[in-house]
Amino acid sequence: MTVRFALPDVGEGLHEAEIVRWLVGVGDTVVRDQPIVEVLTDKAQVELPSPAAGTVAAVTVAEGDIVTVGTVIVEIDDGSAPTAAPTAGPTAASTAMPTASVPIGTEGAAPPPPVPTIPTGRASGTRPKASPSTRRLAARLGVDLRTLPGSGPGGRILAADVETAARPGGPATTAAPAAPATTTETAGPAPVAAPLPQAGPLGPVPVARARATLGQLPAGTHPLRGIRRLTAASMAQTWSTTPHITGMDEVDATALLEARKRLQASLRDSGAEAEAAALTPLVLLAAAVARTLRRYPLVNAAVDPDGTSVTVRERVNLGIAVATPDGLIVPVVTDADRRDLVSLALEMQRLAGAARDRTVSAEELRGGTFTLTNYGALGGRFATPLILPGQAGIMGFGAIKERPIAVDGAVVARRTLPVVFSADHRIIDGDLSVAFQETVLGYIAEPLTLLLGA
Amino acid sequence: MVVGEIPESTGVLVIGAGPGGYAAALRAAQAGKAVTLVERDAVGGTCLNVGCIPSKALIGAATLFHDAGHGASLGVVASPTLDWPGVQSHLQRSVEALTSGVRQLLKAAKVSVVTGTARFMSPTRVAVEDDHGLRHYEFDDCILATGSRPMALPDLPVDGERVLDSTGALFLTARPSSVAVVGGGYIGVELGTALAKLGVTVTIVELAERILPELDRGLAQVVAKRLRELGVTVLTGQRAAGLSADGLGLALADGTVVDAEKVIVAVGRVPNSDTLGLDHAGVRPQPNGRLAVGPDRRISRHLFAIGDLTDGPALAHKATAEAEVAVAALCGEPAAFDPAAIPAVVFSDPEIATVGLTTAAAEAAGIPASSFRFPMGANAKARILGDTAGYAEVVVDGDGTVIGVHLAGPHVSELAGEAALAIEMAATLEDLAGVIHPHPTVSEAVLEAALGAAGHPLHVHRPPRRSG
Repeated sequence: MTVRFALPDVGEGLHEAEIVRWLVGVGDTVVRDQPIVEVLTDKAQVELPSPAAGTVAAVTVAEGDIVTVGTVIVEIDDGSAPTAAPTAGPTAASTAMPTASVPIGTEGAAPPPPVPTIPTGRASGTRPKASPSTRRLAARLGVDLRTLPGSGPGGRILAADVETAARPGGPATTAAPAAPATTTETAGPAPVAAPLPQAGPLGPVPVARARATLGQLPAGTHPLRGIRRLTAASMAQTWSTTPHITGMDEVDATALLEARKRLQASLRDSGAEAEAAALTPLVLLAAAVARTLRRYPLVNAAVDPDGTSVTVRERVNLGIAVATPDGLIVPVVTDADRRDLVSLALEMQRLAGAARDRTVSAEELRGGTFTLTNYGALGGRFATPLILPGQAGIMGFGAIKERPIAVDGAVVARRTLPVVFSADHRIIDGDLSVAFQETVLGYIAEPLTLLLGA
Repeated sequence: MVVGEIPESTGVLVIGAGPGGYAAALRAAQAGKAVTLVERDAVGGTCLNVGCIPSKALIGAATLFHDAGHGASLGVVASPTLDWPGVQSHLQRSVEALTSGVRQLLKAAKVSVVTGTARFMSPTRVAVEDDHGLRHYEFDDCILATGSRPMALPDLPVDGERVLDSTGALFLTARPSSVAVVGGGYIGVELGTALAKLGVTVTIVELAERILPELDRGLAQVVAKRLRELGVTVLTGQRAAGLSADGLGLALADGTVVDAEKVIVAVGRVPNSDTLGLDHAGVRPQPNGRLAVGPDRRISRHLFAIGDLTDGPALAHKATAEAEVAVAALCGEPAAFDPAAIPAVVFSDPEIATVGLTTAAAEAAGIPASSFRFPMGANAKARILGDTAGYAEVVVDGDGTVIGVHLAGPHVSELAGEAALAIEMAATLEDLAGVIHPHPTVSEAVLEAALGAAGHPLHVHRPPRRSG
């Protein structure tokens, strides 16, 4: 019997989704609840499980297709037949196709329980380049190697890559193999694919695509799919409609790092190990930005699409750019200005993890009023990030490292943080832009003032 | 006496005690399961009793006998004599040594070994029949590992006298003067080679247009040439029609008759999926007789299949590897059978080892591939052995990752492990070429093939490439 599988409403009342990638092909044997296709809805990418065990009889939509909810996307021959005739059924034309030896219902009406499955390499095409022990680790941790970029030579997937992927928001991984020691400064427009820092005062661990795999694509024309397509559309929109101005400055980060260290120690003393680990420098920066947005409401705003009015937002919802192997995802921390540091830290960690393992909901990607990008986790000093459509500003942070600065008339080496701020010049002039940035820098230089509130 | 009305309970029921089934039983027992292992014949299955082990014992004896009489070029002149019963007892001792080892392991692991033929009564119950009657077993999980059996030809029914299957060919009580081997696959070639070296007049009849049709053409050609040198007649593109009318030979479809005291049928194997009463378990084999399984070797939640019962090459080491996966899965661990390569070795003369993709297979799969063949004639050890037929070939994909290694030459079966390790680790040409291989060994041929594929072989002259 053929089971026809229609695209379900995977979001909240969404009408359509893009078929990003088929994980199975015609003739493949599938078990119930095995992921068979990746679809993209409103920036959330999800895997859809097979509704039945059997053999894939037909795939009716192609990768890259935009499909409306209710459309049949795959047909699965579940191996059962109303009669015992083995060759009967709707797919009689393909008699050479293997018929699955699945249970044919001798146990009564109870549906077979879902069988746990794990992703494996495909039968054809190039396999993920990973050793057997790494593949076992991936199986144990439930990491799909087909979509995981490798940081080893030639894009080889290492055990550390699998561990990082399995614990996306997790605390302190020790390895930071791609730590940018000698990188060139970031050029060109951002937003840069920038993950949250995860560990150490200076060693945020980049989880973006491994350098060896960045930019690798054979000559020829390739369709933009999934997150890439959405990013392309929104960046083109903002570039063509929003006149950007970008200010750049640099601030001594010593006090900020010291404050974070003390707060972490205090949390650890009270046994709050997880909270301490989640308290990254970016959390303190987010708190500073949220308070500054309270003080300058016009930055927490958006020019309306017709360009004749501006809407000032009531809530401060901070988008945090997170790099994933499939592209940039920006989950939103709601009411960032009203959260205490621990709440802010845990929420940022949770959302970054959900973004990376693609469990973030469509709702958690909506409603941002301002965005942060921590491109410095990948290296680089200054950048010119692009504002997301529907917002008026984006703030970016470069790599914290020791640099020469002047203190009391002497040049000394201090750990400094580059800060850049892109603003919509239609509503924000240089004076406001500078005032906004100076206020954030003030919080960074004197983190104690965060206690005063906005 | 009514036996088996009350079923015995077992945690894991394994059906078939070959290299898949006994490994699964041992692993499940080590994991703390109560295990019952059902075997209708002998522990060890085809491989240990009537397959890999006795055939390699026969090939070893045959090669020693043959080489002892052909050592003049090395300055050794001998006229060995053959003690046929002695050869047969060597086979029996080899089998007994290994199967008794397996029996001891199973006993030590407290696996309950039951002799009899298993049939499903329901999805969770199996009846085992032996000379005394039926015993019923109710299981939590069941692993099917019943393997395969030689395929029969309707026109050449095996009678154990004139017409033999591969098992009969191994355990001949006397040396025949001539045999015809129907089937030029690896089993037919191994048997034919061994018998020829033992002084039997051998004819191999193959339906396809070449012997070893399952292997790369280049490898098969090396073996075909050596078979001719050994005096074996190879008839390809020929169908065996039956015994000749006078009963003294094998009749071919084109009317010719091959003189043969014995006819050995070795045309392939069929999975033992039809004798288990699988319909009572709600399981239907695929049209090819194999059972469809998921990556974790599950047919359904509590039913697994491994080895020759599942798709893929019918090889002992594949079954053993699948046993590990199935037991891990039934213990609740995520597990998948996803090897990058399943090595295959043929104990022909010279030996063949083939691991991973050939260039043709890679191209068929849409993977851009290139390769280099290094001739054994340029390998020092092969020269010393006086056995220079064959080559080592390394296949790489578009970004230099080793995806195939194919070898024909002396002792190359022992190099399949290195090849498989390289492919499983996704080694690049530079990795393989950067490993020091000891001198003088045949393994240097693998190094040289990797160097050649990287564009700079050492022991094969190639004019240096100039740019501009």
